Amino acid sequence: MNDPAIKESGKPQRDYSAFDAQLTHQALNVSMFMRLFGWLKPYKFTLTIAIILTLAAAAVGVLQPVVTGRVVIDTILLPDPKSEELPDFGMGELVYGVSSLTGASPLLSAVFVYAFLVLSTALARYAHRLLLSRSTLQALRDLRSELFRKLETKPMSFYDHVSVGRVMTRLTNDVEALIELLTGVLVLAGEFVPFFLALYLMWAISPALTGITILFLPVVAVATSYFRRVLGDTYRNVRNAVSNINQYMQENLIGMEVVQLSGREDLNAEQFGERNLAHRDYQIHAMNLETVYNAFNNSLIGLATALIIWYGGGQVIQDEISLGSVVVFTQLIGMMIGPVQAVGAQFNTLFRAMASGERIFQAIDWDESTKEPADPIPLPDSIHGELEFRDVSFGYYMGNEVLHDVSFKVKAGEKLAIVGPTGSGKSTLIKLLARFYDFDDGNVFLDDVDVNHVASADLRQRIGIVLQDFHIFSGTVMDNITLNNPLITEETAREAARMVNADRFIRELPEGFETYLSERGQNLSQGQRQLLAFARVLAVDPEILVLDEATASIDTATELVIQEALHRIMQGRTSIVIAHRLQTIQECDTILVLHHGKVREYGTHDELIALQGIYYTLHELQFQDSRIAAELSGEMLDDKVLAEVAASDEDDELQDEEEPGIDTDSDQFQ
Amino acid sequence: MAQFGQYTAPVYRRQRIVRARPSLKHLAHLKRLLPYAFTYRSWIILGITGILASRLCEAQVPMFMRSAIDSLALGDPDILLPVMGILGVVLVRSVISIFSSRLLRRVAIATSYDIRKRYFSHVQTMGSAFFNQFGTGDVMARSSGDIAMVRSVVAYGWVQVLTFAFSILVGLCYMLFLSPKLTLLVLIPTPLVAYLGITMSRRLFPLVREQRQAMDDVTSFTSENLNGIRTVQAMAQEKQEIERFEDISTRYASLIYRTAKYRAKMNLVMPFVTISSTLIILGYGGQQVLTGQIGVGTFVAFFAYMHMVTGPIGSLGGWLSSFTSAAAATQRLFEVLDYQPEIQSNPVAHAPTKMIGEIAFKHFTYRYPGAGEDVVSDISLSIAAGEVVAFLGRIGCGKSTVLKSLVRFNDPQPGTLFIDNVDIRGYPLEQLRSQIALIPQDPFLFSLSIRDNLTYDNPERDQPPIDTAAQLAELVEAIEEFPDGMGTIVGERGITLSGGQKQRATLARGLIRDAAVLAMDDCFSSVDTRTEERILRRLKSIRKGRTTLLISHRVSTARHADRIFVMDRGRIVESGNHAELMAHNGYYANLEAVQSNQDQDRKRKAALLRDLDIEVEVVSG
Ligand SMILES: Nc1ncnc2c1ncn2[C@@H]1O[C@H](COP(=O)(O)OP(=O)(O)OP(=O)(O)O)[C@@H](O)[C@H]1O
Ligand SMILES: Nc1ncnc2c1ncn2[C@@H]1O[C@H](COP(=O)(O)OP(=O)(O)OP(=O)(O)O)[C@@H](O)[C@H]1O
Ligand SMILES: [Mg+2]
Ligand SMILES: [Mg+2]
Repeated sequence: MNDPAIKESGKPQRDYSAFDAQLTHQALNVSMFMRLFGWLKPYKFTLTIAIILTLAAAAVGVLQPVVTGRVVIDTILLPDPKSEELPDFGMGELVYGVSSLTGASPLLSAVFVYAFLVLSTALARYAHRLLLSRSTLQALRDLRSELFRKLETKPMSFYDHVSVGRVMTRLTNDVEALIELLTGVLVLAGEFVPFFLALYLMWAISPALTGITILFLPVVAVATSYFRRVLGDTYRNVRNAVSNINQYMQENLIGMEVVQLSGREDLNAEQFGERNLAHRDYQIHAMNLETVYNAFNNSLIGLATALIIWYGGGQVIQDEISLGSVVVFTQLIGMMIGPVQAVGAQFNTLFRAMASGERIFQAIDWDESTKEPADPIPLPDSIHGELEFRDVSFGYYMGNEVLHDVSFKVKAGEKLAIVGPTGSGKSTLIKLLARFYDFDDGNVFLDDVDVNHVASADLRQRIGIVLQDFHIFSGTVMDNITLNNPLITEETAREAARMVNADRFIRELPEGFETYLSERGQNLSQGQRQLLAFARVLAVDPEILVLDEATASIDTATELVIQEALHRIMQGRTSIVIAHRLQTIQECDTILVLHHGKVREYGTHDELIALQGIYYTLHELQFQDSRIAAELSGEMLDDKVLAEVAASDEDDELQDEEEPGIDTDSDQFQ
Repeated sequence: MAQFGQYTAPVYRRQRIVRARPSLKHLAHLKRLLPYAFTYRSWIILGITGILASRLCEAQVPMFMRSAIDSLALGDPDILLPVMGILGVVLVRSVISIFSSRLLRRVAIATSYDIRKRYFSHVQTMGSAFFNQFGTGDVMARSSGDIAMVRSVVAYGWVQVLTFAFSILVGLCYMLFLSPKLTLLVLIPTPLVAYLGITMSRRLFPLVREQRQAMDDVTSFTSENLNGIRTVQAMAQEKQEIERFEDISTRYASLIYRTAKYRAKMNLVMPFVTISSTLIILGYGGQQVLTGQIGVGTFVAFFAYMHMVTGPIGSLGGWLSSFTSAAAATQRLFEVLDYQPEIQSNPVAHAPTKMIGEIAFKHFTYRYPGAGEDVVSDISLSIAAGEVVAFLGRIGCGKSTVLKSLVRFNDPQPGTLFIDNVDIRGYPLEQLRSQIALIPQDPFLFSLSIRDNLTYDNPERDQPPIDTAAQLAELVEAIEEFPDGMGTIVGERGITLSGGQKQRATLARGLIRDAAVLAMDDCFSSVDTRTEERILRRLKSIRKGRTTLLISHRVSTARHADRIFVMDRGRIVESGNHAELMAHNGYYANLEAVQSNQDQDRKRKAALLRDLDIEVEVVSG
């Protein structure tokens, strides 16, 4: 740990902006493609057949113009003696064979052969498409699952910094782009096969004409690579603009209540407008380039045709080749240029997919993960529940320690209360206990096993935490209690709801336990939401129970009911209760006072009261003050009392530093 | 475990908006786009003219080929003219098409820009009923996916239809000119082609729709899951969530495969039908060449024209399906755009511009849309300017509902809620919301710096009020400890702050506005008592003479108020100041006793629970 970048308090600060950026500017990332194809491996059998079928379809497709041009025109319509010397790839023989076999006229036989070719191309193409999309879709499904698996197990530090929207984009849009690429563009790429076959046929018929015809290839190559470069940059800008728009909109939607409360609608519309405008301008820029490129692309066939007729016509006049050959050329040229055009038209998809592929693999490779022990110690089937923190120090940022050398012990079956002013590190302690964050300064033991040597899933199954920052999922009330855990029966869930007195309000909901809750449980009151979060932890019947401000938004009467139930549940079960309302922690055996990340007081209620320290002050404030107030017959605390309390503040142990000077006369609030 | 290739019913349960099955009738929705496109009508007209002209040019190419081939066949070669002709036509066409397609696509981009702009502004006026119905992911999907879909149809769709129609027309004319009889023969199978194209693509609609819904399943599942990732991990549910995801994504992949399969089938069937036209030209046309009725050039040109005609007819199904998709997208967009804001700002002329802060509820009743019962019923109370009042009551009794109606998040019935003797509905909405500072119960921060969060309502604020607000909310000490102080960026929703810090930052954001009415919805629940006391004391001296409403579950907070209202099941059951309520010896007094008495007076406890008709037998010790 001598690396200056690594402070003793934590890991080096990561650069999460990398996760947002548009990565490399490489237009064609070969290694990305290789990796992508790696995912296709399990389906290589299907894929091989698909490729064989593509070849077959292409071969048969290329022969079609040969039948019309070389056979029908050259031997039937305008019999040309030259025709004998030019190749027809067995089509002439085939047509005349059919003719002599069936007795039909050569023309009719040619019609038959032609029909046969067209239909078998269609069939081969059909089978090829099925197999191709089957294998690619399965491969991408696998890839998506792998990505999800990786993201699902990322540690909290990751989600503290990377927005969920960005992560989601990878799972949805980015994978979609790959699907589009593999099922769309790859099908097109399959049609490149005719390109080479067509070239071969043309060469066989007339090398000279072929030479002239492929003169345009370098032009196409130069133009394409030029457009690819400029368009690549432009598309990148468009994509960035799109994600700016989406991100802005998303956060606005989530915080719409605050937006409206703050009267920010106009300003936000303006800011959104800027992003919208940028998007529009980039799009117009891309479009301007595209129209030129498309026009160029679409002229290719016309230009090539002109070239063929001009040169080929000359050759026909000189009796070098047959007229039918020229016709074959004009049709084959379409087959050659077609795929080039199609891919050109799909540039956008191609670029998007490439960028998406990079982003997906980057997310898969992102090396930040909960440090899982190499060979985890399995926890026994039933644990005693003894907990110990030994010299734990931790910080979220470099050089900014939140916990300093925290040590304490909870005996099996004991109830520990943690109190302390806001921001003192109580929740952080809990997050370390559940291994939400990696720490290497100090140890946490569960039954004398270092939790860092236990698989995090195993650990979390034993410790049930009611998070301060709980989440209500959109779904039914029942789903929110069971969390789709198959081990939790409906009966258990109902029982858990009963224990926290949630069944009362649930019964009154329109459809009881089957009532659908919207996003984040918006259609419940805050206290009701918290009860659900509480119930879901009780439903799993954890061996160790941790309550982080679990009743903060709950009224006293309901809390009494919960305490009643907890009294039973916590019997003989190690528990940790964090609360600001001291009434909540009355049942606890020991109390730990955390202040600025340090353990300041530790002992039973009576001991701490006798100590006359922080706990004592908090206690007095909550219980005694209320009596003072009562004595003052409900008057608002008058100045006398104010002065009294202020005085008590001064010799208060909590006062580590000078209280920031507060100018109560500030005219801002007058 | 879902298997690839099985088209099971949705495995993910979520709220789905039920719509009519997509059909050709849906195309009518596209009409809604006309007003947007109409703004750019001159560009459109010019663009279309250009496109048609370029098509006409293109149609000349086979004619030139014909004359070249015929001249070659007749041994009287004249190829220079046709070659120059083709070159000329291609060049002219390119130039025209660059400009005309630029015009038309500009229209599409501009239209989608306009729609998106309006969409955003519109969504900003929406209230909770809207968001309960639609959800963030859904609103987002409409803005990104559906607008893009609409754009592509506006840009290419109908222009393509027009050019297709024109191609068919031009192609037919040329064919008739070359050989009327052959033309008629060639056209025989076209009705069948059109019929097949339409019926097959109609069967495609439901498949595409289901695939889209499966995609939405993937999106909403991941969004829900990742937003709740802390809960998922804390409950050690990752493995099972991964399995659920695999099921959902396998189903989606299977559905894509199903549509792909159907599309492939369409592509397979079409050649079987269209081939007859080709065979007719080949067989019958060849015969005519043999008998000398037409030249080889005509024969070749005929092939080209036939493609001009049957190509578009064959792809009829294709563009029909993209049109219905766009129609469905339009429908989805206008579902949002047509959604009337629940809250309309219809200020009356005599609404005072400055509030004093006198609040009166008169038989105030509220029922959430779609709910069966009133959550707040018949509340009548008046709050004098400068008074501090507290609301207390068990969870779900309607406290937040009352407070939210002050800023019209829940819209009160006319004539039930007055501020300064003017119906609250008579104030302009922005005035109402700027002069009543509501601190919501659920603390939310944007992933911006602390400073930007505090000055969210007005980023141009000076430093002094920011500092004052931070001091008032007891944030200064915490901020000093952050790595970048005020400039520290908080995580999404303020996730990198402690519970109490988040709450106090939310408080500071409201306090900074120094509003006539301050409404604090349980905003000390995660703050320790000592800090809370200090904040409340400061607030009290600073807000003298101005109205403050607060909600709390703690008697120690409520007793700061001049008057306390105890609510139960949407009604006010007790009211008065602390002493009066203590003397009344009801719920409040019991609450006070239980909360302030460590020894847990059993009788009081039982009484408190009985008041709320909770089964008393659970109280044992
Ligand atoms: N994810 C995080 N990233 C960075 N800093 C954090 C993060 N979570 C908490 N902190 C900081 O760590 C300190 C301790 O926070 P913690 O949540 O442990 O406090 P707490 O004691 O639970 O407070 P409260 O009573 O307000 O919930 C705070 O200063 C907080 O800003
Ligand atoms: N958007 C909504 N749609 C439908 N019902 C709602 C909605 N919001 C709240 N409710 C219901 O209305 C009732 C009152 O809710 P409210 O939020 O006013 O309670 P509260 O008194 O603030 O409770 P708490 O102390 O838990 O915050 C509850 O039963 C709740 O389920
Ligand atoms: Mg906390
Ligand atoms: Mg509430």
